[in-house]
Amino acid sequence: MPTIEASYQDLCELIGKKVGIEELKELVNFAKCEIDAVDGDNLKIEAKDTNRPDLWSSEGIAREIKSRIFKPKFPEYKVKKSDVVVEVDRKVAKVRPFTVCAVVKNLNVSNAFLSQVIQLQEKIAGTLGRNRKEVAIGVYDYDKIKPPIRFTTVKPDGIKFIPLDFTEKMTPKEILEKHPKGKEFGHLLAGKKEYPIFIDARNEVLSLPPIINSEYSGKVTEETKNVFIECSGFNLKFLMPALNVMVAAMADRGGEIYSVKVVYPDKTIFTPDLDPKKTFVDVDYIKKISGLKLSLSEICKLLEKANYKILKKGKRIELLYPAYRNDIMHQRDVVEDVIISYGYNKIEPEPLKMKTEGKVSEAEIQNEKIANIMVSLGFQEILSYTLTNKANIFQKMNLKEEKVAEIENIVSENWSVFRNWLLPSLMEFFSNNQHVEYPQKIFEVGNVVLIDEKQETKTRDVRKLAAAIADSRVGYDDIAAVLDAFMSLVGVKYKLERTEHASFIQGRVARILFNGKEIGIIGEIRPEVLENWKLEMPVAAFEIEIENLI
Amino acid sequence: MASYSLTEEGKEYLEKGLPEKNLVLLLDNMPQKSATLGKLIPKVKNFPIALKWALEKEWVMKKGDEIILMKPVPEEIPEEEALKKIAEGKEVDEEILKVLIERNLVQKVSETYKIVEEGLAKSGNVIDVLTHEILTTKLWKGKKFKAIDVTQVRKKLELSKISPGKRQPYNQFLSEIRKKLAEMGFIEMRGPTIETEFWNFDALYQPQNHPARDWWSTYRMKQPKFGLLPKKFVGVVKKAHEKGVAGSTGWGYKWDPRIAMQLMPRAHCTCLSARTLASKPKIPGKYFAIARCFRPDVIDASHGVEFNQVEGIVLGEVNFKNLLGLLKQFAEEIAGTEKVRFIPDYFPFTEPSAQLSAKHPELGWIEFGGSGIFREELTYPLGIKVPVLAWGLGIDRLAMFRLGINDIRNLFSKDLKWLREV
Repeated sequence: MPTIEASYQDLCELIGKKVGIEELKELVNFAKCEIDAVDGDNLKIEAKDTNRPDLWSSEGIAREIKSRIFKPKFPEYKVKKSDVVVEVDRKVAKVRPFTVCAVVKNLNVSNAFLSQVIQLQEKIAGTLGRNRKEVAIGVYDYDKIKPPIRFTTVKPDGIKFIPLDFTEKMTPKEILEKHPKGKEFGHLLAGKKEYPIFIDARNEVLSLPPIINSEYSGKVTEETKNVFIECSGFNLKFLMPALNVMVAAMADRGGEIYSVKVVYPDKTIFTPDLDPKKTFVDVDYIKKISGLKLSLSEICKLLEKANYKILKKGKRIELLYPAYRNDIMHQRDVVEDVIISYGYNKIEPEPLKMKTEGKVSEAEIQNEKIANIMVSLGFQEILSYTLTNKANIFQKMNLKEEKVAEIENIVSENWSVFRNWLLPSLMEFFSNNQHVEYPQKIFEVGNVVLIDEKQETKTRDVRKLAAAIADSRVGYDDIAAVLDAFMSLVGVKYKLERTEHASFIQGRVARILFNGKEIGIIGEIRPEVLENWKLEMPVAAFEIEIENLI
Repeated sequence: MASYSLTEEGKEYLEKGLPEKNLVLLLDNMPQKSATLGKLIPKVKNFPIALKWALEKEWVMKKGDEIILMKPVPEEIPEEEALKKIAEGKEVDEEILKVLIERNLVQKVSETYKIVEEGLAKSGNVIDVLTHEILTTKLWKGKKFKAIDVTQVRKKLELSKISPGKRQPYNQFLSEIRKKLAEMGFIEMRGPTIETEFWNFDALYQPQNHPARDWWSTYRMKQPKFGLLPKKFVGVVKKAHEKGVAGSTGWGYKWDPRIAMQLMPRAHCTCLSARTLASKPKIPGKYFAIARCFRPDVIDASHGVEFNQVEGIVLGEVNFKNLLGLLKQFAEEIAGTEKVRFIPDYFPFTEPSAQLSAKHPELGWIEFGGSGIFREELTYPLGIKVPVLAWGLGIDRLAMFRLGINDIRNLFSKDLKWLREV
């Protein structure tokens, strides 16, 4: 979810009323926002709806508040026709096939405007645009551009222009290598033979999308009066709402929106399209989902407060909503807006009446029973991560590597694989507590993850118990006595059988058998393994599977 | 008899020879069998000691500035022989022992070496009991361990003599929550740690191009990489995403089964709710899960890569007022407060959505839960025709408060002392 910064005073001006900060904190909830921090005039706002980019700027937040505290007025945006043409070259199909554009005139560009527009542009391209991959947005000083504008491609060294915030002319290739934005976003053009470019009738470059604007026209300042906006990417479904959100925000600050004729080889479109969209909601459905007893006129008032326009009242209410919204997929979305307008905290919570019988899972009941038995035997329960690393479960345990569930995009080597047995977690714990009084008797009841091709998820969780004693003298007999007491308390008849295991001392390790099936291992840990964990005390331990044990 | 061990100095001499021996060896190699102090001092370590003992033993004499060798170098030096024997744990002559103790080359360490001796079986090269001392002296190296009868339990555990063990406090806290939820009529759900994206995302109507599915917000598996899709639900979930179901427009993009097949460590336990909805749950019914979840967060005092989530669902003729009623009940029964606030929230799988803030008597207002009513695009494909309330509780802050810790990582404490005392 995007976090945005806003000016308190600017937000109040957009709302049209000076509201106290505490009141504002409540009011921003109407826009699914929360004020996280206030620092003088500067507000840090968390915008929670990742599906509503229109709420990621002061203009959008103000819209939602205004309609709730004043008499609502349906936000309609007039689009005037301009004669600006953008010609889309067939060649862009391979690199960045689509663009939608607009012109906004007669702007009064303030500091607050600049910071909000730049921030909105970044948040849309970052979140909705998947870090400029799906949507990149450019805003330009319209008065420095001579239409028609061409959206075409050039060879990496086929043109030179001064990129934003630089003073020298560079080729696109040089920009990717040297400009900070080129370094950051250059990977989006990796492997392309030609790069996309916006260029005007005088052959002045507007930008190299999705990387950087030109210094000449791609710089908007407080002197700027009129702007040209383009959104480029791969899917008109993302680009259209992105452009609408941008121009609506500018229009809310007094700008006049003009359409642009975008000419593709196979079609011509006029953008932006800010005609309100149609939807409906059933009165009974509102009542069913909300649980609120509302009259038709109450519902209509609440809808208007949420910036809908009522087209037709009735059992089914026909509606219009502003084109900057792209989130309404189902009448459920409209129901939520009604409830938000009503006010979550005005609703009397109603306890559930259904009678159901609850139950802790068998697995957890068993886990707890087993943990309590181990506690009664004088053992301390520990809890560790199931994520670990290969060194812990293999090398340090003197084992050869085998196939184990492994993560691709790790944040740290420490947490890169899922443990396939518990004992390494106990060894690590001992290793961390060498300064603590001995004897140390610990156990863990927990899950391990095993590779299992037969499963839907190709893995299987197995519940296990591992227990271990570390002391200045401790041996097989000590841990065998614990296992024996444990097994007699859970009422399991088991057998021990001599075996070999690289983590345990030869001749001092046994397999634990239950109903003829091997369920675990017991023995004295090899000194080599103790040294790997930097332990100076001998350790005796066992580990058993507890699925189906009791 | 008491046992003795070499001091650091003793060990050094055993390895490199007594300083007085080193001095006379050096002189013996010189043509005149003598040298000046200035020549000898840089060449003999611990020269003052070497000279003192060489003079005392009358191996050398001092003439002004010159040291002259008096006798051929002895082949056996009693002190060195004794150091060797002591190191091997053998007995030595009392007289020489006294000298060595006086020279601070040997110390009395009765316990340690007794245990080492005991740990080593009589034969000397086979270890009977592995002890701390054998580990620290590295005496196990190159030795075999005496095999013992591993199929018999010789020591019977005397329970009365055992010091008390303890449950892990965070685990115990989770157990309490579990019981509380069962008391409130919820049935516990379980499911696999490693999930397909299908259950983690697609079945929850999270579009494949949703930012939350991006590389940096959730883990992906390197091995195994792909799981299987549930045939029964693939078609209808695909339709829900592409064209919409139950009166929805859908997300309107091309749904890719290969993405849905990818495996990932579950990022939330809502996937368990989805699996439950898909397996003919009870209606009316209440379900909950407490499960480990995984996200590639930056690790700090409030984020871990592995954490527990508490989530659940309610199926039946329920509405938003009931959702708030349920949240209030959680606040009362689990956070111990009646003061609650509800704030509009967003989750891709619920609409409407609400955040629960609860005024904890000590912590003040805390974000205690996220909730909502599952979207029909989610419930319809899984065969559910009634509204489903979905909720998740942030209980870790409560657990941290209860246990008096400030760092979320300490919920999985690595500190035995703390676990014993808490």
